[in-house]
Amino acid sequence: MDDRVIIFIDGEEISARQGENLLAAAQRNNIPIPSLCYHRKLTPTGACRLCIVKIKGKGGLFAACTLTVAEGMAVTAFDEELEAARRDILDYLLSEHNESSDRSYEDEFKALVVRYGLDDPARRRFPAVWKTLGLPIDDSSPVLVYDASKCIKCFRCIKACGEVQGKHVLSMANRGIQSYIVAGLGVWGASECDGCGECIQLCPTGAIVEKPNRDLLVTEIPEKRVISVCPYCGVGCQIELVVKGDRIVRVNGVDGVKPNDGRLCVKGRFGYAYVGHKDRLTQPLIKRNGQFQPAAWDEALDLIARQFKAIKAKYGNNALAGYASAKTTNEDNYLFQKFIRTAFGNNNVDYCTRLCHASTVTAMLHALGSGAGSNSIEDYETADCILVTGNNMVETHPVTATFVKRGVAAGGNLIVIDPRWTPLVKYADVWLQPKLGTDIALLNGLMNVIIREAWIDEDFIIRRVERGLDAFEELKVVVADYPPDIVEAITGVAQGKLLTAARLFARADKALIATGMGCSQQTTGTHLVHTLINLCLISGQIGTIGSGINPPRGQNNVQGASDVGCLPMSYPGYIPVADVANRKKVAAVWNVPHETLCGKVGLTTVEIMQAAHSGGIKGMYIMGENPMLTDPNLNHARDSIQRLEFLVVQDIFPTETSAFADVILPGVAFAEKNGTFVNSDRRVSRVRRAVDPPGEARQDWEIIWDLARRMGCPMKPYGNEAEIFDEIAAVTPFMAGIAYHRIEREGIQWPCPTQAHPGTPTMFLKQFNTASGRAILHPVAYVPQTEKADADYPFLLNTGRILYHYHTCTMSRRSRALTDFSNRSYVLIHPDDITRIGLKNGARVKIASRQGEISTRLKASSEVLPGELFMPFHFGESPVNELTRDELDPDSKIAPFKLTACRVSAYQ
Amino acid sequence: MIKQHHIALRNVGRIDPASIQDYMDRGGYDALKKALQTASDKVVHAITQSGLRGRGGAGFSTGLKKTYTSQASCVLLECMRYIVCNADEGEPGTFKDRIIMEGDPHLLVEGMVIAAYAVGAERGYIYIRGEYHQSIAMIRNALVQARTHGFLGNNILGSGFSLDIEIKLGAGSYLCGEELTLLESLEGKRGYPRIKPPFPAESGLFGKPTLINNVETLSHIPAIVINGARWYRRLGTETSPGTKIFTISGEVNNPGYAEVQMGVSLRDLIYRFAGGMKDGKPFKAALLGGAAGTFVPESLLDVSMDFDALKAKDAVLGSGAVIVMSNDQPILTMLASILRFFEHESCGKCVPCRVGTKQLVDLLKRLTGADDNRPDHVDALVYQSELMAKTSLCPLGQSPVLAIKSAVRYFRDELEIPPISQSRWR
Repeated sequence: MDDRVIIFIDGEEISARQGENLLAAAQRNNIPIPSLCYHRKLTPTGACRLCIVKIKGKGGLFAACTLTVAEGMAVTAFDEELEAARRDILDYLLSEHNESSDRSYEDEFKALVVRYGLDDPARRRFPAVWKTLGLPIDDSSPVLVYDASKCIKCFRCIKACGEVQGKHVLSMANRGIQSYIVAGLGVWGASECDGCGECIQLCPTGAIVEKPNRDLLVTEIPEKRVISVCPYCGVGCQIELVVKGDRIVRVNGVDGVKPNDGRLCVKGRFGYAYVGHKDRLTQPLIKRNGQFQPAAWDEALDLIARQFKAIKAKYGNNALAGYASAKTTNEDNYLFQKFIRTAFGNNNVDYCTRLCHASTVTAMLHALGSGAGSNSIEDYETADCILVTGNNMVETHPVTATFVKRGVAAGGNLIVIDPRWTPLVKYADVWLQPKLGTDIALLNGLMNVIIREAWIDEDFIIRRVERGLDAFEELKVVVADYPPDIVEAITGVAQGKLLTAARLFARADKALIATGMGCSQQTTGTHLVHTLINLCLISGQIGTIGSGINPPRGQNNVQGASDVGCLPMSYPGYIPVADVANRKKVAAVWNVPHETLCGKVGLTTVEIMQAAHSGGIKGMYIMGENPMLTDPNLNHARDSIQRLEFLVVQDIFPTETSAFADVILPGVAFAEKNGTFVNSDRRVSRVRRAVDPPGEARQDWEIIWDLARRMGCPMKPYGNEAEIFDEIAAVTPFMAGIAYHRIEREGIQWPCPTQAHPGTPTMFLKQFNTASGRAILHPVAYVPQTEKADADYPFLLNTGRILYHYHTCTMSRRSRALTDFSNRSYVLIHPDDITRIGLKNGARVKIASRQGEISTRLKASSEVLPGELFMPFHFGESPVNELTRDELDPDSKIAPFKLTACRVSAYQ
Repeated sequence: MIKQHHIALRNVGRIDPASIQDYMDRGGYDALKKALQTASDKVVHAITQSGLRGRGGAGFSTGLKKTYTSQASCVLLECMRYIVCNADEGEPGTFKDRIIMEGDPHLLVEGMVIAAYAVGAERGYIYIRGEYHQSIAMIRNALVQARTHGFLGNNILGSGFSLDIEIKLGAGSYLCGEELTLLESLEGKRGYPRIKPPFPAESGLFGKPTLINNVETLSHIPAIVINGARWYRRLGTETSPGTKIFTISGEVNNPGYAEVQMGVSLRDLIYRFAGGMKDGKPFKAALLGGAAGTFVPESLLDVSMDFDALKAKDAVLGSGAVIVMSNDQPILTMLASILRFFEHESCGKCVPCRVGTKQLVDLLKRLTGADDNRPDHVDALVYQSELMAKTSLCPLGQSPVLAIKSAVRYFRDELEIPPISQSRWR
């Protein structure tokens, strides 16, 4: 093989990759050259000097980590001189090192000290100097402590922060023996450090340690380590849960596996405390006379079965509906939709995807034949151009953002489209800031420029687009109305920036799009995603490795819940329910008569709530969702849910929604269950049980199974979650090749049709999944938003998420580490506006829309344009969805969370 | 009788350094005109033939540096090439570059433009020590004048060759005078040494091929272009041709500088150029090359001052600094001062230098105190400095061994005697 070279280390012949780092090659071959500053994920530093070796034919000693292998290279890794020098260097390090330790961390340095016999002070040569140095301790961060006297200045934390996470918060203060690590300008808690803890994970000794559970972390006591998947966003990071007793005490990223290669964000690393929180639901609760009272499982489940059956008998099958959950496993969700379809006998099953990416999925299904992201997270690192639109990725998908930042560091261009400043703008080549709701005009403008400058990919259009150039001509007519000057007038984006963005995107070899809620949560959401797809298609930026369109998913298993059929129009694998042949196939696997399966498309999330209001839906089963904070127009939603005759909520905490329930069932958290999640890359990964559920809480799928039995629609018995997954694979063609034993170490990306199939990192390489195999251009004209600011409601309100919280805070607010960073609602307002309305920064204000009103605090910030507001939706005490509208996107039924006319006034 | 021989200093004191006309009246920029009419590889060839070696301290062949840089340029056809002048003169006892920049700034500019032309660099930086206010002012003025006269900027003298030069200021770090660290600093980063290889000729400033030369080195180039390599080779010694500016300080009657042919003896430098020992005191030692230098005792007064003859005696020429000590000055004090300097200037990146420089200072303190383990401490000094030399990342950590070993070699007894008699210099 040409890309291999042969080298010799202490006479042993070793095959190495051309260009490989010598130390890495040695370590790969189990040659234990010591090292502290080198780490596989970082560029070589050459600071610790422990990996010194001799090279035949060259004088002097060389740090192996700074050498590249060369054919025939003869290396001496171990001889007396080298080992003596290494012992001395370690001895030097010891002399500046405070050895006191709470034994709560993996200590690579200490391990080497022992290996070289220096744990015996009598064998040390150099006097200790660390006490004279007066090095500081910084414990100002909510999540970690840095003790400079224990620091060996290996630079791994600095590079972890800069190179791995792209944050560049850490650096070295002072010089020489007096140097130590500082965050920002010197105070960790006041710096830009966002607490991802990458530095903790890469610290080879006890200089940077996490704050939580210090007393419980003693490493000598045997502990359980379980690999699972992070329960927060849809990146699907693999995490290692460290368990002491029956409590999670630490979370590490899992190195060397996809998707995250050890990287985590602050939520993933520190947001685990909720699992063992005292507020957990531990037994079934039945509401009697307005009060929740504990009940036995039998009593609760029998009551539920009785009530659901009564509603069915009284109002018919269609009076029942269920919300599945983007947080529970595929196995839970699969049984949930099976329950709705067999026990309720309808297709009224949906979940929060309707509130996030329904429009994206609708447009992508129509135009490309598949609603999932076309690429893999690692492709961002090698893309020539990345277009991030309507996606505050640094906060909502922090680990995806690290790949984007690394792509930029490697020379890729970044275009950010967002009406609000987001932290990703710092890394962008060009930031387009359109006024709220004008994106379609902006994207049509980009295409106008691309066509005008002849940057289109005609060959791609002819080969891969339905009706080829004819379809393109139709698009051309539509986008001809959007020359840069008109676009500037509509969107406020300067023409020069539009030109730059068009050039960067269309002329890149490989361009990737990441879209987000900013695009999808509009009444024109589906149209907007169509324009994005049009942009990909005319410039040929899809259908090759490293180019395409990707909607990073907001929750851990949004993708999976859809994949396994929690959708009103389709069975697992997106198989339409309306087709009798499909019903027959599914009925055969479920072992039910196919006539019992309903062929009518069910209601979507918001439609279910609207039907509850109008009396069409009388009973509901909600698993792991909190619509009373996430649904738009909450006043209306609350009114609706109160009109239900019977409501069951299954969750791990009491929520705004469970308050309205008739029965509350305690389910289990991710760390208490086995199963699988599917991430935004379509990667099916294993979730594993690490701790026992609290009290009488039961596995969610067992509850569903038991309820089905009691409703007289028993499912076949499942011995474990793997058996459920096997059934999923049996009905879901694109998962047919996946089984637990194949995903023990790393997940597999669907489509994976056979056991021999390796999975699919990139979609659409040969053809699109449409009937014709070609993509569909769908030209869309810009239509001004119906919601407008006026004299009564002069501001346009945008909503979104922040890094430290997740969804409705049921989990994130129960982790002290996260609330220490952020725990208060606010509304961002432009400083000019704050002056104009005569209020002060930080003032408590009332925000009112045509739908409702809430109170929060003003935060002056030029991150928003004048006339626009932004508010995070997490906080229950300032529920922003009291304000939002439930006018729906006609194509996908998504609600317009991103645009509401509001007024701001002083709080009385 | 040995005379000064001026190449780098040929105009210093004879012209108004602020006047380009003065410089041109003495033949200034003629070399540039000549070079621009010669193929660039011929210019490189001439410099290689001249045997000019870097005057920054290491003594690497200037011509080879240029060859490597221009070859790298050939491989990477369209890639940017840089020329950088190292004017971050920080070696204790050294002030030769300052004399040139203050007294004849155009000579440096002209040398730099020729060198840039030779390697095809389109952009240049002069990285000047921040405390050199007069040098900065003079170079700044010279750059403006050169630009006005068409010696700098677009299409220089109609040759089609373009170059602009910018001044960057050092911020007081000794280590930033080390060429790879200097490049880091130029890029706006903290002054940490880079891993070598790659060398600057291959991947230097912003990862592009870069020629980096010292002020004195570049100042020799116009004369070589005008007079030819053979003329230059006739000066100095066989392997160290040309002249060198020595800066002489310490216990001499007339501290100062002298540009003489390589191969001059230390005795001549002290007794003929510096007016002999102060107050007629006996000579004890000279520290050659500054802090990163070596002590030489009286027995070496007649050694030839060039790169290789000194090397043969385990001494270094370095930057050309000569710090002279009389016999009432304790070596210990000088050594302590050097080691404190290294401790202060160690960047802290690699372990042996960061900890070693501190441990050496502590050892020295014990030697100056009332301690009965003095011979052991002297051995420890040597042992640790050798460890540092072997394992340190950059030249800084590899330097203390020079002073320590030469001091121990020639003055071991003195290091071991009780400190009472050394009180004056404590």
